[in-house]
Amino acid sequence: MIAIPLLMLAMYLVHIGVSTTVDPRADFYLCLPRCQDGFDAITEQYDLDTNVFLRPFSYFGGLFSGEGLGQSTSVGDPVSEVMRTRAWNTAMVAVPAFLIGVVLSLLLSVYSARRQYSIGDYTFTGLSFLGFAMPSFVLALILQVVFAVKFEQWTGLKPFNTGRKTGENFLQLARDVTLPAVSLAILGIAADSRFGRSSMLETLNQDYIRTARAKGLSERTVVWKHALRNALIPLVTLWALGFSVLLSGAVVTESIFSWPGLGQVFLRALGDADLDLLMAIVMFTGVLTVMFNLVADVLYGVLDPRIRLS
Amino acid sequence: MTTPLLTVDNLNVGFATKAGIVQAATEISFQITPGEVLAVVGESGSGKSVTALALMRLHPGNTVITGDVMFEGRDLLKMGDAEMRSVRGREIAMIFQDPMTAMNPVFSVGDQIVETIRVHDRTVSKSEAWTRSVDLLEMVGVPEPKRRAAQYPHEYSGGMRQRAMIAMAIANEPKLLIADEPTTALDVTVQAQVMEVLQKVREETGSAMMLITHDLGLVAGSADRVQVMYASRLMETATVDEIFYESKNPYTRALLESIPDVDGTKTELHPIPGNPPSLLNTPVGCAFRPRCSMAVEECAKSTPVLTNIRGQHSSRCHRVDDLAPLEAWSS
Amino acid sequence: MTTLDPDPDVDEALDDAAAARALSDAEGLSDKPKSFGRLAWERFLGHRLALVGAIGLLVLVALFWIAPMFSEFEFDERDVRNRRLGPTAEHWFGTDEIGRDLFVRTAQGGRYSMRIGLIAALVATTFGTLMGTLAGFFGKAWDVLVNNLVNLILTVPAIIVLSVFANKFGASALGLALVLAALLWTRIARVVRGVILSIKEQEYVMAARAAGASNSRIMFRHLLPNVVGAIAVEITLLVGSVIVLESTLSFLGLGVKPPNASLGTLVADAKGDIDSDPLRVLTPGIFIVLIVLCVNFLGDGLRDALDPRAKVADNQNSKKAKRAAKKAAKELQRTAPTMGVGDTTVVGAHARNIVSDRNDEESGGRP
Repeated sequence: MIAIPLLMLAMYLVHIGVSTTVDPRADFYLCLPRCQDGFDAITEQYDLDTNVFLRPFSYFGGLFSGEGLGQSTSVGDPVSEVMRTRAWNTAMVAVPAFLIGVVLSLLLSVYSARRQYSIGDYTFTGLSFLGFAMPSFVLALILQVVFAVKFEQWTGLKPFNTGRKTGENFLQLARDVTLPAVSLAILGIAADSRFGRSSMLETLNQDYIRTARAKGLSERTVVWKHALRNALIPLVTLWALGFSVLLSGAVVTESIFSWPGLGQVFLRALGDADLDLLMAIVMFTGVLTVMFNLVADVLYGVLDPRIRLS
Repeated sequence: MTTPLLTVDNLNVGFATKAGIVQAATEISFQITPGEVLAVVGESGSGKSVTALALMRLHPGNTVITGDVMFEGRDLLKMGDAEMRSVRGREIAMIFQDPMTAMNPVFSVGDQIVETIRVHDRTVSKSEAWTRSVDLLEMVGVPEPKRRAAQYPHEYSGGMRQRAMIAMAIANEPKLLIADEPTTALDVTVQAQVMEVLQKVREETGSAMMLITHDLGLVAGSADRVQVMYASRLMETATVDEIFYESKNPYTRALLESIPDVDGTKTELHPIPGNPPSLLNTPVGCAFRPRCSMAVEECAKSTPVLTNIRGQHSSRCHRVDDLAPLEAWSS
Repeated sequence: MTTLDPDPDVDEALDDAAAARALSDAEGLSDKPKSFGRLAWERFLGHRLALVGAIGLLVLVALFWIAPMFSEFEFDERDVRNRRLGPTAEHWFGTDEIGRDLFVRTAQGGRYSMRIGLIAALVATTFGTLMGTLAGFFGKAWDVLVNNLVNLILTVPAIIVLSVFANKFGASALGLALVLAALLWTRIARVVRGVILSIKEQEYVMAARAAGASNSRIMFRHLLPNVVGAIAVEITLLVGSVIVLESTLSFLGLGVKPPNASLGTLVADAKGDIDSDPLRVLTPGIFIVLIVLCVNFLGDGLRDALDPRAKVADNQNSKKAKRAAKKAAKELQRTAPTMGVGDTTVVGAHARNIVSDRNDEESGGRP
């Protein structure tokens, strides 16, 4: 399949892109020639003398020969270490966000389609219009203002932390994770449920739904078995593809809620010109996205027997 | 006279749209006795499908239905949802026009037949139902029924799909089968086969059939009685012989005349001039008047009533008595 | 030379025809087809949301471009003694932590967002249309090339790849707009390609080919009008996306640099005071939402104006239709006893009355 060589090409271009836009020696230009040694050390470490188009080869060469991902200059630990802990933290928010997104967008899609033109439907339609217009950071801040700041002022309670990972036990984590996860999930729900609603409506208009009713099936069976099974097909691929959006969102959410995940450390690496960490993060997210795209393709074939190759 | 299986009395079906009320079926009254085949003939938009969907209560949400539909003593239009559901698929079954879109593409054909069986009889086990569905597929002439049952609708050919639909419809041995243009979406060669299958299953199950079609050729071969609809109204109802040889309605006659003569010498085609009227604001008088070669002043003033001519033969026309006997019409 | 004497019969016939046409016009059943553009314009105007969006945008434009002329402050004018003020008569939106007038800065941010939205949309549309046309129309190698290029660009999640490039190029408005366009052209290309592919195979194109039309003629007369319709909607969505992405990047510190303001940076500046002054944090965000909402409403109106088929299903299921059905059923029940022989349904009788009121002789002839 073409996905693999394409991925390799993407990684190659990513390395070039990152190398050209980030200069770890940025601070050093002003103090030359005093700090020539430091300057040279960095040049040495990141192969900055070699042609930018050739650097990826030495990078990936080193990667596979066991040199590892390098050292993070912004965090101070080996990149692999940083990636491990941070990715785990991000997953702690992203996975619940994903699950919430799937469940809620599914329920909303079915509800909106069945109760078309009801007040609930109009409300959700209006809300999703709002959702399309709202940047994730605005939403996250609204949630923070309402649930963290104001809630405390009004009720004296602090049910959710304003982020920051405070504890290790499950209950505390649940408290910490709630706001960031919801914030991450909501905008996706708005988009997915609009799509799911129209997919569901289209499905409910199909002839085979009429046949199902003509067979004497209950409305519940017709909707949840016959209709949903068809309407779900494009929706599932949307969920799988939405993963990449989730990663994007994590950058913003983690910044606002001070959550120690990949997104937060990505911004730091960008600011500090931490080349190795930056490369690792961008590569990681790229690979994950491609993987989930493949999953989406496979799922489509699994769910729709018409697509399966004979 | 045997007690009728289905009695439709003064059925009116209208759709409420933003533009107004579209009267799709007006004053429809007819009966079907057990085991007989009633053909409902008409152009598109005449109201024939609408009638069938209305009595099955499969109509869309904005429909206004009045009248009585008595099936074995029970009024279908007035019964509760749960009761209606037990009638559908078990006592009255329906076959639709386009078998490709009428079956759910993500379930296997066998599964869909099994579902029909099990929803009406919870005591049947899955394996029993599966065996039965394979048997049904065999009965309707699907080759390699065991293998085919596990396949999906898109893997069937058009004719096979319709056979599978028929199998699904007769799974619970319904007393009435409604076939809504069962052959329209199929090739001509396949049409005959499907009609044969319908004939066969009717013989096996003894069910009556309401055959909805615009194809008079189908009618000649399969029906006992015929009713002709135009612009939401019944125009004529009679036995099949009476319709073909002794029609007392200008519309029916025009329909008969418009059938191209395949055997004879090449003559001009005689289509009916004009178009069917809008059902949105039904005009005064007979709906067929603008296209009728026998129209008189009376026809513009009032709508003719369905008058009984003889026995079961009725016609809706002001000039029923003026119609000369038809020349022998050979099919 | 013969002259035509005025023929009273002909005159009467013409009068009848004119009357019939006036009648059918009144019912919207004109036999003269209105041009596609005219129809689209009428549909657009009838679309309430679109009008709201258009008016909203006009208001915002006035607010961002014209209103600041009435304020005496500059966007970078500091007045540290008057910092962190709430709204006052002089500082309509109050001041920030170093005393700059927030209204003027908000207006600057608004102008910045809209400007970038337009530039990025323009570039993305041009490039995207080109690529989409190449892929869709010429197919084969071009299609493979463009498709893979799109997949390549979409490999890394949006914010991440945008951040990397905005970090270097994002300081200037043009740079940021180009970075955004470099990512977003893919959407336009996809839509254009899809439209062209679906139309290419349609029969009327084949008919045109059979009649001997050249490639470019086919492209311009048949394909482009449909493409324009499809991308008009996509463009409005694109502008919205650009504004959202730009503000996000600016919020993260990767866009416009101080002392210039973007709605995103204004939010970032205010974030520190979120506990004491949450309104200051949320106001620029609300403006972003307003701008994008208006643009999206416009897009919705455009979509409905250009593709009326989408609304057909509405007719059957709308609440209005259901209510009308209930009402009609009640009517029928109420008046049933008065039905006479030859009188059909109440509905039909009602219709008959309407028709006879209009003195329409020609019955049944109207299609």
